[in-house]
Amino acid sequence: MHSAAVALGDRGRVEDFLIREVRLLDERRFEEWRDLFDEDGYYWVPLRPDQTDPDSEASLFYDDRPMMATRFERLRHPRIHAQTPPHRTCHLIGNVTIDAVDGERSECLVSSSMIMADYRVGVKRVFAGRVRHRLRWDGERFRIAWKRVDLIDCDDVFELIAVPF
Amino acid sequence: MMELDAATLRSLVRHDRVHRSLYRDPDIFALEMKRIFHRGWVYVGHDSLVPSPGDFVTTRIGVMPVILVRDDEGEVRVIFNSCSHRGAIVCSEAKGNTKLFRCGYHGWTFKTNGDLDAVAMPRGYGPSFDLCDPALGMGRVPRVRAYRGFVFASLAADGPDLDTHLGPARDSIDEVVDRAPAGEIDLSGGVHKYLFRGNWKLQIENIVDMYHVPFSHESTISRSGRQFGRRPGEEASSAISDRGSAAARWEERVAWGSPSTGHSYAGHQPIAENLPDDPTFRTYLAALEARHGAARARDILQPKRHNTAFYPNMALQALNQHVRVVVPVAVDRTEVHVYPVQLKGAPDAMNRGFIRHLNITHSAASLIQTDDLENFRRCQVGVDAESSEWVWFARGVESDVEDNHGDYRNHGTVELQQRAQYAAWLRLMSEGA
Repeated sequence: MHSAAVALGDRGRVEDFLIREVRLLDERRFEEWRDLFDEDGYYWVPLRPDQTDPDSEASLFYDDRPMMATRFERLRHPRIHAQTPPHRTCHLIGNVTIDAVDGERSECLVSSSMIMADYRVGVKRVFAGRVRHRLRWDGERFRIAWKRVDLIDCDDVFELIAVPF
Repeated sequence: MMELDAATLRSLVRHDRVHRSLYRDPDIFALEMKRIFHRGWVYVGHDSLVPSPGDFVTTRIGVMPVILVRDDEGEVRVIFNSCSHRGAIVCSEAKGNTKLFRCGYHGWTFKTNGDLDAVAMPRGYGPSFDLCDPALGMGRVPRVRAYRGFVFASLAADGPDLDTHLGPARDSIDEVVDRAPAGEIDLSGGVHKYLFRGNWKLQIENIVDMYHVPFSHESTISRSGRQFGRRPGEEASSAISDRGSAAARWEERVAWGSPSTGHSYAGHQPIAENLPDDPTFRTYLAALEARHGAARARDILQPKRHNTAFYPNMALQALNQHVRVVVPVAVDRTEVHVYPVQLKGAPDAMNRGFIRHLNITHSAASLIQTDDLENFRRCQVGVDAESSEWVWFARGVESDVEDNHGDYRNHGTVELQQRAQYAAWLRLMSEGA
């Protein structure tokens, strides 16, 4: 069987990728996390359940790669008050399923559940939601075509957020 | 507990400083709700959020739950979101469309204008209970007026009219709305909502604070003193700082504030910025010129005001085009709601750009607003220190000029706007004391 087909249908391999992906965020290796996205990749966190469109409505995050670069450059700035001290985060990924495989384009659609706890200056929070990834197999590794996170409380108020989910 | 009579209130506010208790005393917060939010004009919402009969959004005036609704007749009303029977919130949806509001507790129903429609099982009530009593409606906020779609309400039956209240700040609404080729704006493109553990005044002060930018937002400014590019293809944005101080052009900005209403604004940099020259913008410009003519269109596109605070609870920012609403929750807890402004009649691509841009600057995960939220939190913790009784707004106080309307005028990174806010605060809080 073709290697792409093997990788795209291999739930264990996909799950391993997702675990390693969020671990980069917990370790604040933001630039490496950005590099997982393909050149046209984007990261989207809607502000409304069932939001269909990131263009005509406000979003909590809607970053392409250049925007991620600006975002993470700021997170490295020595005088970023919102991260002095920084958030500590712990992501947990589970319930991973491969929902569709597109062999033509070497892509698959993956669903998972995410819980992220974060802590900063006496405040502990828990975020939870459903995550969808469109992953591309480039022959050697997965690249993220897009990642969408639907938080269960996406339309609620939030205290400041720094680290992606 | 402090007795908040007129003399005490006067002792808490001086021209160049205010007492720290204004940020931390729950009794002062309760009195602010009563005398500022539950009496004078406050912003409630925008009519583009309720375009059709039966459309509603739930919100608050001060700490009171209300519904902004377009009733069956097409009239925009503000009604209290509380059942006349036992007081329960009648509507618990954030927004929607309905023919009737129905209380979930005992099934009483109300018309979209707030009047009682029907009481469930009415035969259980005897003759002493008048089911036609108008007081059994949800209750309408007595005064509701709109200016170009911006809906304001006052819980007092009498008082200055909305035009008088808005005064010269009204032009800031015109500046933004006139940019729409159709002459109307649309606020229905979603909302960013955040919470900070601090007093509401920290946000309304900050909106018109031109002093904090190079310091609070240092993490967004490169070594060259320019802020990150805010629009697609833009390498860097405007010059913010010049070797640790605000860039020179900032000192030329007009500062204006009304000590009677508390409204204030910071002017735009007085140098015309180059207009974009891309197909989307050219389409937009053509639409604007078709409505107004070339000269007036150019004038509309010349930015005049950077941001305007409509005391006590709304701000309009012309740069990162949005409407910001300050929602007090408790003395040390505040919500902020930020609505992207879309221009009706402008190309979709342009409005999509506004929305995308605001995600970057003003979402709860944004690159700008998060540093402000952190500083509000730090202020709230810090004012508990009894090292000083005061918080200072003295910057530029000697050079303030009072114009013939009694309004303050000055230039640059002064704290004039905050001086105007607290002069109004004292006036509003003392009325009826």
